[in-house]
Amino acid sequence: MKRNITLLIGIYLTSFWVQAQNAIDFREVTLDNGLHLIMHQDNSTPIVAVSVLYHVGSKNENPDRTGFAHFFEHLLFEGTENIGRGEYMNKIQAIGGTLNAFTSSDITYYYEIVPSNYLETALYMESERMLHPKIDQIGVDTQRDVIKEEKRQSYDNRPYGTILPETMKRAFSEHPYRWTPIGSMEDLDAARLDEFIAFHKSFYVPNNATLTIAGDIDYDQAEAWARAYFEEIPSGPDDFFRPDVTEPAKTTEIRDIIYDNIQIPAIIQAYNLPPKNHPDSYALEMLSTYLTGGNSSLMTKELVDKQQKALGVQAIPLDLEDGGVFIMYAITNMGVDPGELETEIDLLLKKVREEGISENEFQKLQNIIENDLVSKNSSMEGIAQNLAEAKVFYGGTNYVNEELDYFRKVKQEDLQRVANDYINLDGRVVLYYLPKPADSE
Amino acid sequence: MKKILLYIFPLLLLQPVLAQVDRSTYPEPGPAPEIKLGDAAAFTLENGLKVFVVENRKLPRVAISLVLDRDPLLEKEKTGMLGLFGEMMMGGTSNRTKDELDEEVDFIGASLSASSTSLFASSLKKNQGKILELMTDVLYNPVFPEEELDKLKKQAISGLAASKDDPNSISGRLTSALNFGKDHPYGETQTEATINAVTVADIKNYYETYFKPNIAYLAIVGDISSEEAEGLLKEHFESWEKGDVPSHTYPVPAVPTQNKVALVDRPASVQTVVNITYPMEMSTNHPDFLTTRLLNYVLGGGASSRLFMNLREDKGFTYGAYSSIGSDKLVTSFSARASVNQTATDSAIHEFLYEIKKMVENGVTESELVAAKANLSGSFGRSLESPSTIASFAINTQRYGLPDDFYATYLQRLNAVTVEQVNAAAKKYLKPENMYITAVGNAKEIEDKLRTFGEVSRFTNMADPEREIDTSELNLSASEVLAAYLSAIGGEEAAEQIKTTKISMSAEVQGNKLNMITVQDSENQVMIQRMLMAGNEMSKTLLRDGKATVSAMGQSQTLPDEQFEYLKMSMYIVPELQYETMGYTISSDGVKDIDGETAYKVLITNPTGGEVANYYSTATGLKIRSEDSITGVTSYGRYEEFEGVLLPVQLSVESPMIPFPLNFEVDDLEVNITLTPEELN
Repeated sequence: MKRNITLLIGIYLTSFWVQAQNAIDFREVTLDNGLHLIMHQDNSTPIVAVSVLYHVGSKNENPDRTGFAHFFEHLLFEGTENIGRGEYMNKIQAIGGTLNAFTSSDITYYYEIVPSNYLETALYMESERMLHPKIDQIGVDTQRDVIKEEKRQSYDNRPYGTILPETMKRAFSEHPYRWTPIGSMEDLDAARLDEFIAFHKSFYVPNNATLTIAGDIDYDQAEAWARAYFEEIPSGPDDFFRPDVTEPAKTTEIRDIIYDNIQIPAIIQAYNLPPKNHPDSYALEMLSTYLTGGNSSLMTKELVDKQQKALGVQAIPLDLEDGGVFIMYAITNMGVDPGELETEIDLLLKKVREEGISENEFQKLQNIIENDLVSKNSSMEGIAQNLAEAKVFYGGTNYVNEELDYFRKVKQEDLQRVANDYINLDGRVVLYYLPKPADSE
Repeated sequence: MKKILLYIFPLLLLQPVLAQVDRSTYPEPGPAPEIKLGDAAAFTLENGLKVFVVENRKLPRVAISLVLDRDPLLEKEKTGMLGLFGEMMMGGTSNRTKDELDEEVDFIGASLSASSTSLFASSLKKNQGKILELMTDVLYNPVFPEEELDKLKKQAISGLAASKDDPNSISGRLTSALNFGKDHPYGETQTEATINAVTVADIKNYYETYFKPNIAYLAIVGDISSEEAEGLLKEHFESWEKGDVPSHTYPVPAVPTQNKVALVDRPASVQTVVNITYPMEMSTNHPDFLTTRLLNYVLGGGASSRLFMNLREDKGFTYGAYSSIGSDKLVTSFSARASVNQTATDSAIHEFLYEIKKMVENGVTESELVAAKANLSGSFGRSLESPSTIASFAINTQRYGLPDDFYATYLQRLNAVTVEQVNAAAKKYLKPENMYITAVGNAKEIEDKLRTFGEVSRFTNMADPEREIDTSELNLSASEVLAAYLSAIGGEEAAEQIKTTKISMSAEVQGNKLNMITVQDSENQVMIQRMLMAGNEMSKTLLRDGKATVSAMGQSQTLPDEQFEYLKMSMYIVPELQYETMGYTISSDGVKDIDGETAYKVLITNPTGGEVANYYSTATGLKIRSEDSITGVTSYGRYEEFEGVLLPVQLSVESPMIPFPLNFEVDDLEVNITLTPEELN
């Protein structure tokens, strides 16, 4: 049986890296006011995704006014000079569309997916909130309450919910990544209306935005409408505040215990990463797949299946524009001391650092990555976001068609090298999440 | 003047070139695009397996899903077996160990998974042959290894432990139990005991009974033609043998006769999870199916629906409030829910009830209905983006006995629904007087407020009713409780005669023996506790000379004074004798239910503010539990007499570091012995 497997592997090898992905066709243009427009035509389903990526996230915030970018994610649904309060969501949904938004440390992303005959409506609405959103006290007060409930629901009341903020504030001492998009409720309470307006003026402008249209469109008509609605929006000053902070390399490990409303202990390790567009990001992505991607991955097999010390284990490369963190996250199995599990995690990491990975494992990783990249562009919404992020983070929209090439450049030995360079004991953060003792508040 | 006019003139001329758009109103939409439903090729194999093929060449992928259509099952004392089944199915085959199977699936970057009623596989087109080979190996040749079941049970029990702290899981368990009853397939709750009761024979028996082609649907979707699929599927599935599968029926659960309020106390909560719910019958083939979709959408189906607009956008009580009306062949439920600000718990419930009643009384408006239709049409249209939607349409049509044109005429029928029909459905299906109003939150803060809505019944986090305690006869003061305890163990005098003890206890941990040896010397104020795993010392805690030292793995650490003060409270074999002299404050904290036994709760606070809670049985006077934030929860089982004093010989320890209780049995207990210097170090 074993021999058969090896033979099969040989056959798969030869077929590997055959171009499996169909190239994504797109057109793009930068308008005079600096707005970058990207379009992708696919007429197979009569829907269209329209999105605006504003290159502003929590890292662009003032340290004592955190949570602003995320606040705007909410505020920009409140209405505009021509669209009444609460009408924005109603309108999109009433034309059979759907909409949402998210805020990361680097960007804020708004999108709607509408039946394709409503493309002009969607463009009109996105242009309205870029041109003249209504930022008033009622909206600020309501959304402040909503966000407090969001924080309680997603962080405070949720078991393990505070992992990201607790990790980031230790992994970063200087860089604004030390706070997360939800920000501080005290800052939001203290913020005045004029501060919100000023934040909007400096970041939510065409020259800091990427408009993407993907779906059942006609290129020329889509561009004409985009121009009609967006070209009149004045540019903002080009001196966007982008933190120019190099996070100093930590030399000693930071170790802490967090008591949470949980029953099962968790271990979190965080290792600082290079910037998102660094060539090593690809090897690190593959390394994370090697460690925990799939049932046969090193840690899942060893810690969950064999030793049964972990209920689950996951490596998450949280790549950010200025360098994020590689998070190892494991939940202990019954009766396992978290220290015992951490020792095993460290042993496996050490093994990768010392021995690297086998040829066979490396080929498996390449196959998995290929499959992932093919699946990545399966919806209009996904394509719109990938196009916009390609432009903003990787400097060129065609990156969506080149990503596989970057993965191809990774060599087997690179995985061992990045494990040594980044996933080492110098200055990592280790958190134990332990159950809060009974009867304490 | 002239000159100025001249300047303005060209500017005016330029104006139209800027293509000024009218921003005062929404642009007119273009003509509605035609929504085309792709076709699924269908055929049935000789063994009864119904197959659907949806060709979609956009991406070089194929996905194969196999679904079993059986009646829901009551698992009773084996509840949880179905949840373990899928992973057991993936536990290896007679041709491949689990390791080999995992490796082969991952190696081609594919995915393969199973549940008790399905198998799902997907891969790149070029690997379709391989993934089908692996999928059918799992389907025909699973071996269900014993050790895999042991592992999965352990994981499931850990997961269950985690779910006991998760407010949404607690709410889900509670509402299922209330709506359907704990003796119904949809209301059963799994416990540690039911999970532990599952055997490999149960799993095998289930597999042999229900994995039959004649109750199965298979869909293959993606970069494949129906001719190619037919050949491939015949080759792989024709040999699957059919068989008779039992059917099951269940009584239909009734709505409560009046509104009932149910509460689960979760003291750590900063929000309240509110779910207002009742059971109802509704399924895809029901004549009111579409009408109830529209009704629910207006009430709480989305982010522009009434509940969201009221509770979030107007009041800011919550991050999101929604309602749903399920659809299920057997029985389903209505549910309106939100995680709300604790202080607004009652106001939020009030708004929920207001919106539900208003809907029954006044119904929907024409414009709301138009918007609801547009929204549901829109999401129908968007769902067609994924080729698997066409496959699931084809399967549903067969499975629910729908008319052949059910999905083809879906939009047309949706648009034909009238305001009157929706309003009639509101009166028929919304039951504002027959609902379970459930809340998971901090009872101390919200219980009184909930009484506005009716009598409050309390439930545990496992959805069992909390036992009512009649406290009218139970009114001892804290010091009386302690006095009763001392008299129950043999009297203060006898207890004071115990100067030294040496206790050896042991517990089983995953097949290893854990020993704990505790030596106490009350007069010299010394306590030493050693933990040994399989004979090796893992840790030692030493209290002497007013200091506490903990040693583990070759390192030793002196604890801060505050922690010493804490540990000191458990330094004595009968600490109750010392509370007074040590300057502790004692206070009574009511009567509690401790695993079915009624107990006085007494709080003991040391001078540095450290707190221990002791529970004393109201029936026997004995201490049955002790809790503090460092050592966790210690429960005392059986007591035995030593020199006229009753001491516990069975202890269960739930430490904050360990997610399940350690059950210790005392192997040896010596009283008033002379302790050797070794024992005291």
